[in-house]
Amino acid sequence: MSDAHFDAAKTKKSFFAVGIALFVFTVVTVVVGLVPMFDIGAPGPDAADVILGLGIAGTKASLVALVFMHLNHEKGAIYKLLFFTTIMFACLMVATIFAEMDPIQEQFDTLSTTSGVVSEVR
Amino acid sequence: MQIPHEVIPRRDTGLYNAKIGIWIFLASEVMLFGGLFSAYAFLRLGVQTGVDNPWPWGLSVHKNFVWLGAINTLVLIASSVGVVFAWVAVKERNWKRYQRYMYFVVACALTFMAIKSVEYYSKLVKHHGIKLVDNSVMEGTIIDRSDRIEFQGDKISFSLQGALPWVFKDFTSGEFPLLTVESGPAELVGDKIASAAAFKAWHSSGRAMVMQKLVDERRRYRAERDAGATPKPVSVSSSVTLVAAAPFKVNADFRRLVMHNATTLNYRDGVKVEGKLVTDAVRFQVHEVDMQLVLPTKQRSSVVWDVIGSAEAKQHFFDKQSEKYAELKEYYDKRGGIIPDKQLRGRFLNVQYVHVPIDEKSGAENKSAQHDAVHTSDMLLTAGGGDSEGHVGPSKTILVPRDKIKFMSNHGPRYGNYYGIYFTITALHGLHVIFGAVVLLFFTIFGKKMFLENPDHLANRVEVGGLFWHFVDLVWIFLFPLMYLL
Repeated sequence: MSDAHFDAAKTKKSFFAVGIALFVFTVVTVVVGLVPMFDIGAPGPDAADVILGLGIAGTKASLVALVFMHLNHEKGAIYKLLFFTTIMFACLMVATIFAEMDPIQEQFDTLSTTSGVVSEVR
Repeated sequence: MQIPHEVIPRRDTGLYNAKIGIWIFLASEVMLFGGLFSAYAFLRLGVQTGVDNPWPWGLSVHKNFVWLGAINTLVLIASSVGVVFAWVAVKERNWKRYQRYMYFVVACALTFMAIKSVEYYSKLVKHHGIKLVDNSVMEGTIIDRSDRIEFQGDKISFSLQGALPWVFKDFTSGEFPLLTVESGPAELVGDKIASAAAFKAWHSSGRAMVMQKLVDERRRYRAERDAGATPKPVSVSSSVTLVAAAPFKVNADFRRLVMHNATTLNYRDGVKVEGKLVTDAVRFQVHEVDMQLVLPTKQRSSVVWDVIGSAEAKQHFFDKQSEKYAELKEYYDKRGGIIPDKQLRGRFLNVQYVHVPIDEKSGAENKSAQHDAVHTSDMLLTAGGGDSEGHVGPSKTILVPRDKIKFMSNHGPRYGNYYGIYFTITALHGLHVIFGAVVLLFFTIFGKKMFLENPDHLANRVEVGGLFWHFVDLVWIFLFPLMYLL
């Protein structure tokens, strides 16, 4: 951070605003999680709830990274470093698709009503 | 020697040393936690409905602790704000304000860890699960460590070649029984032992004697062999039997037993205790019944209802299930589809809050009513997780016969993959909180000299420490919904 154009008042203001936003988002997360009215998708936890929950978390995380960790105005070297981290991280997350790829189990799933029998046999 | 670019950034990158260093470190941290989040996703997606141990709903695992988790999120956010304000305070050359903010951050870290330990304690000590032989699961609390087997012994047999027998750690009563050596090596027969310390001393000298005899026997064997004779095999009697003057109580940990029956406990360390079994049943407070691994057609005849022994509780379970089924049907009818198998076998329909009413007559038997009243209050805030409306007050303690139990455990890592990954990630995160707080506290207490000599250097340090702290906050931002709500 170069001191020449460090504006303390402005910086404090933005930090404070982000802090408030994070508080609000946390409350929103809890309300969405606890109040049945906000249970999107089918009743009970499902993919839609996960997407919503992680969406809010992602927004909060972006605020922390961009403002608190100064990633909104950082030097190029750091973005270059984080570019590779992002690719590796994305690979890790994409890898979880393999958990959903199972051609053998799919055969069972397509035969409706068998899953009960299958689980009993096992 | 002055290290270059500690304070003044390099001209080519525009960065000072510590900044590039912390970002390389944070990049590796992203990979570390990324790997664990990926493991979480694999474990969660890999669960086959109706086959594998079901993935619990964070909300119903944590109950009241959802609020504590939310408070912890706010605490970490507040601490993150504190760090950036401390950094600004150094930039403004205000030492007092800087210190205040930093102490606030450390206090937040301590609060976070205190709340975390309350939560861990509850999982490891207060909450248990019992899986019965037909794979139905009861969630609740085992009362008074009754997972242990209550036994009244009068005779103990073991080999003096072994280590100190475990059974002596399982004695319940404070007073040690008066033990007499009934059989064993001639030198020991008739010995009387009256205390734990005396037993330790007796065991150690007896063991030394037997070992010496073994050495002597081997010497004798070798001598005979070397002399050309056919040696007699080495034989030393080391087994002893102790009888008690009065029966003694044993609370045996079933994990340490090979087997037990009405008259015998057989320990894994080879010790045999004879006497009589007092009780084999586990006293249990049931809060929830989980039928996800029981076929819908077999749920009404499940062994869990025999164990719980309350028609009212059973009725409540199935009433709730039908209510929820109607809810599901309405949802899928509106969308013109059938209810997917995953939902039919999932936790929404198959996990319900269960309250076992205390009948007036046997109310007095319920020794733990006080404890239970406290415990059931945990259930009040389960909105959406379990279903506790209208059920406040103690639930009756039931007796679960051990031969109906397939598996029982606290809510520790061995209880299932969810708990395994929960403890792995949250414990690693907790360690980050502790180490981060230690570093920030160091800057707060010992930073004055640097502040006076070169405040920009201290500002850089705080910025770097702060970057780590924000990262810790960032991980928690994802952990909270994943572990507590979804």
